[in-house]
Amino acid sequence: MRELRYVGTDAPRPDAADKAAGRAPYIHDLSRPGMLFGKIKFSEHASARIKHIDTSRAERLPGVRAVITGENTPELRIGFLRDNFALKKGRVRQFRDEVAAVAAIDPDIAAEAIELIRVEYEPLPAVFTPEEALAEGAPLVHERDADGRPVTTNLLGVQVHHESGDLAAGERASKHIVEGEFSTPLIQQACMGTAGCIAEMDVRGNLTIWAKTQIPFLAQKDFIRALEAMGLSGRNARVIVPTLGGAFGTGLDTHAYEHIAILLAHRTGRPVKVVYDRREEFANLSPRQSARTRVVQGCDAEGRLTFRRVEVLQDNGAYTSWGATYPTVMLIPATSLYKVQNVWFDAKLVYTNNTYAQAMRGYGNPEVTWPIECLLDELAEKVGMDPLELRLLNRNTPGEKTPMGLDITTCGLGECLEFAKKSLDWTNKRGKQKDKRRGLGVASLVHVGGSGRIYRSDGGGVILKLDDFGNVNVSYGGVEMGQGLHSALTLGVAEALGVLPEKVSINPTDTSTCPWDVGTHASRGAFIALNAATRAADKARKKIFALASEIYAAEAKKSLAAFQKKNPSYQPPAYDYAAAARADNLELEAGFLFPKGAPDEPWLKMEIGKVLRALHFRGAQGQMIIEEAFYEPPSTLPDWSKGVGNMSASYAYGVQAFEVEVDTETGNVKILKGVSAHDVGRVLNQQTLRGQVQGGLAQGIGYALYEEVKTHEGRVLNPSFTDYKIPTAHEMAFPVDIFFAETNDPAGPFGAKGVGEPGLVPTAPALANAIYDAIGVRIHDLPITPEKIVMALKNKKKG
Amino acid sequence: MPFDYHRPATLEEAWRLAAADPEARFVAGGTDVMVRIREGKITPRALISLSRISDLARIAIGPTVVIGAGVRVAELERNASIRHALPVLSQAAALLGSTQIRNVATLGGNLCNASPCADLAPPLLVHDARARIATVSGAREIPLATFFVGPRASVLAPGEVLSAVVVDPPAPTARAVFLKQGRVRMDIALASLAVLLETDGQRCTRARVAAGSLGPCPMRLTETEAILTSGTLDDATLARARAAAESEVRPISDVRAGADYRRHLAGALLERAVRSLLNGAER
Ligand SMILES: Cc1cc2nc3c(=O)[nH]c(=O)nc-3n(C[C@H](O)[C@H](O)[C@H](O)COP(=O)(O)OP(=O)(O)OC[C@H]3O[C@@H](n4cnc5c(N)ncnc54)[C@H](O)[C@@H]3O)c2cc1C
Repeated sequence: MRELRYVGTDAPRPDAADKAAGRAPYIHDLSRPGMLFGKIKFSEHASARIKHIDTSRAERLPGVRAVITGENTPELRIGFLRDNFALKKGRVRQFRDEVAAVAAIDPDIAAEAIELIRVEYEPLPAVFTPEEALAEGAPLVHERDADGRPVTTNLLGVQVHHESGDLAAGERASKHIVEGEFSTPLIQQACMGTAGCIAEMDVRGNLTIWAKTQIPFLAQKDFIRALEAMGLSGRNARVIVPTLGGAFGTGLDTHAYEHIAILLAHRTGRPVKVVYDRREEFANLSPRQSARTRVVQGCDAEGRLTFRRVEVLQDNGAYTSWGATYPTVMLIPATSLYKVQNVWFDAKLVYTNNTYAQAMRGYGNPEVTWPIECLLDELAEKVGMDPLELRLLNRNTPGEKTPMGLDITTCGLGECLEFAKKSLDWTNKRGKQKDKRRGLGVASLVHVGGSGRIYRSDGGGVILKLDDFGNVNVSYGGVEMGQGLHSALTLGVAEALGVLPEKVSINPTDTSTCPWDVGTHASRGAFIALNAATRAADKARKKIFALASEIYAAEAKKSLAAFQKKNPSYQPPAYDYAAAARADNLELEAGFLFPKGAPDEPWLKMEIGKVLRALHFRGAQGQMIIEEAFYEPPSTLPDWSKGVGNMSASYAYGVQAFEVEVDTETGNVKILKGVSAHDVGRVLNQQTLRGQVQGGLAQGIGYALYEEVKTHEGRVLNPSFTDYKIPTAHEMAFPVDIFFAETNDPAGPFGAKGVGEPGLVPTAPALANAIYDAIGVRIHDLPITPEKIVMALKNKKKG
Repeated sequence: MPFDYHRPATLEEAWRLAAADPEARFVAGGTDVMVRIREGKITPRALISLSRISDLARIAIGPTVVIGAGVRVAELERNASIRHALPVLSQAAALLGSTQIRNVATLGGNLCNASPCADLAPPLLVHDARARIATVSGAREIPLATFFVGPRASVLAPGEVLSAVVVDPPAPTARAVFLKQGRVRMDIALASLAVLLETDGQRCTRARVAAGSLGPCPMRLTETEAILTSGTLDDATLARARAAAESEVRPISDVRAGADYRRHLAGALLERAVRSLLNGAER
């Protein structure tokens, strides 16, 4: 490999200036000629029969262009189980069910029209916890499945199960066993930019939709299906992704509001925009799925893990989205966080009349890492061993094949643990500051680092288009949603091609111009994009060198003549440039083409734009440099009934650790210092990576200490930032020691692994362990609020 | 929803506008009003802004401290005379909302909104502040303690304006502190407490305790005050005062916190406030 010029530097992100200056166009800023504004009427019951919808007054309101309901539109099914509908007909199953929608000439009229729609309901029995839903004779959330077959239970058919080794033998081999039940709540992704789209149809029925999505191509598939259901077979759905103000999983599925915008656009013949305000976002967008997890694990007398049993119960809500596939990722920490044989895993998902849930950053991983890592500390206490030493003893190592069949090619877990130990002065401080109510805690993580195969194709493609000015235009089907993908892609393309980063620009993601990509999830964006981009760049270099070898001599001769004209006394060194300009001897570096080993003369270095122009305007047959590559990572789609399969091309490990001080009177937890250490394979961009790690940490702290979507009988009680608290600069005002282990993964582009999600995976247990070290109290249900700490201390006192 | 917006320059003009439209509402910084309008909780036909009435924005420090209702929270936080005369008020102001909110929110808005969690109420209550109310037919002054009558309800009749808050200068030995517990630093209080003590050696000669978010409106805790001044202020007295505070408050359970925790906080904050005053950490 050539020496790296751009990869690993701290070059600023290409999108930073426009975002800071307010110029980046988010969906909220976009407008189309003749555009109408759509608004949705949501259910007023968690479970009810819709008896009648009276839309007459709304229809008569001046400025209203369409009022639609499930009765007067084609049925559009959504979700991977197709158990959800764009507009509900006859029955609502959750508070946020869409019962009607309007399109009007301005948002105020649309809002007024919504208020004029009268819906008569007949309330039906409802279930709000998995237990209620599984009880004998419980009312069914769905009476029939998507194929119309009668359903007899609220349990979902989706199941992930894993058994490896011999659990009973593991238990017998254990000196110590710990167990406990831990829960995680519904969490709002709290994107800065709320959800929204603009749907526009041409006269022939082709759709263009500007959508806040992470899955443009799967969305295209969903929308084409919707067009078919609307009688528009054979038409295309073009998905364009505007600047996104964060997604964190909200864009992993298509939404009812998008389908409603399509129906309204079709009905009115005008573009229709639907954008959620903050309250709608909180109440009507799928939050992170909650989970209750029971873990049992054991170790021998020396602290070596002997077995692990993980049982998960998830409240699916009324419909199914990707939150239901959390178990596929939960398997990773369950089977592969530390060396453990004899693993049993089972996850159950249950329909209820609560808001249906979605995935979020970490995708099931934090939910299971939470109990495993808390219980590791309990195990260490039983053994009488330092919890960090117990982790070091059981740490994963390169070359390992885990019970799930994951091939651990590179693994920096040991380095990360050692870093945390040193950074926090662990040996001197852990367990020794109880008088100051201070404590230290640590937790680790393993996550997919080389994409995660949950679909037939886990690939993605890149097109590189070079122009007459030496600009390199990059088209990739994945999504920049604030994580810094374009920063990595810019540097990676410049590096791989040999041009200046300033010359590289990334096209807006558009299904009509970009190659297919499965979606930006599983921390896969940079990993896939750069693997495709480096391959496309190799092809482009080969082509450039082959063609340039034919013109180089003539161009160099012209160049020399021009140079000599300016510098009459110049004598060129003896160098046979014509002979040196063989395709296999040409080099392209920092935007200049030259023969390898050529003397350092300016006229021998040809600016790439000049070369490209020479190829373009060459006699009768000009030539363009446009290359593509589609990269499919070397991984396998797991067999979910067995829970086995090497789903990623590499695995990311990491460690977080904290020193906290607990105020036992108010229950406040003050973080004195944090450590976030990650095996990233290779740093692609310092600034972006640190941003990802710090952002993940803040989100993890929110998850650990503050955040929870609270509901009562299915209704969201805190649909605003007044009562849904996320950390602010005040809460993050503590020193964070960041460390990157560069393990140079063979499958990674430039050796890099995915790093998008890991930053929040072990935060909650690391904090919980620190709190326990400080005050001897362990909270099992996130978030760990001051109130819970005070109540737990009171209960402990009572004994 | 659309509404008319008036910006009178005098109180007389404001009253005329208010009399002409009984559905109009006063607005100062708008940080409460606008939120409630956007949430659809109120739908006024017109807003009458008080922010151009310069009389309302004055601070006068003489024999008494007079703070106009239109004074911004940021001003309370930073103004050197306020910081000197009523440091506990500056302390509370600094903990209200965010920088942006403090730059527009006013003292009058905070009190007239009459939320149980109004952060500026407890510090003023411990200083026995009076509310100066201006009406078409003249002005009157009432103890701030009688100004609040329930959640989001004050004694103000329609058209009446809170013009200023008046505080007698505290005794030289008086020291006060404000403590606030939120879920994060920038939050509506789950519980807040202001405590003022005048001490004479080991004895506390005068005590004022006022609580926010611990009852239907900001309230004095008079039983707690009585215990604090009942004898030597030692650990035993403090423990009794703490118990009194916990039983005297009337917290509710809501989406922010449970009543039990709030009750606990009343005691915990009281003990912390008193100890910090006795240790001389606050003035
Ligand atoms: C993000 C955010 C955070 C906040 N955080 C806090 C906090 O931490 N602590 C806290 O206590 N509050 C907080 N608030 C609430 C609010 O900012 C304060 O109560 C503020 O002091 C209100 O002042 P204002 O001038 O904006 O009131 P406005 O909204 O203008 O008015 C409030 C009410 O008072 C009436 N009114 C105003 N002035 C007068 C007057 N002179 N005479 C008669 N009636 C009058 C209005 O008619 C209205 O009913 C927060 C608000 C927001 C939006």
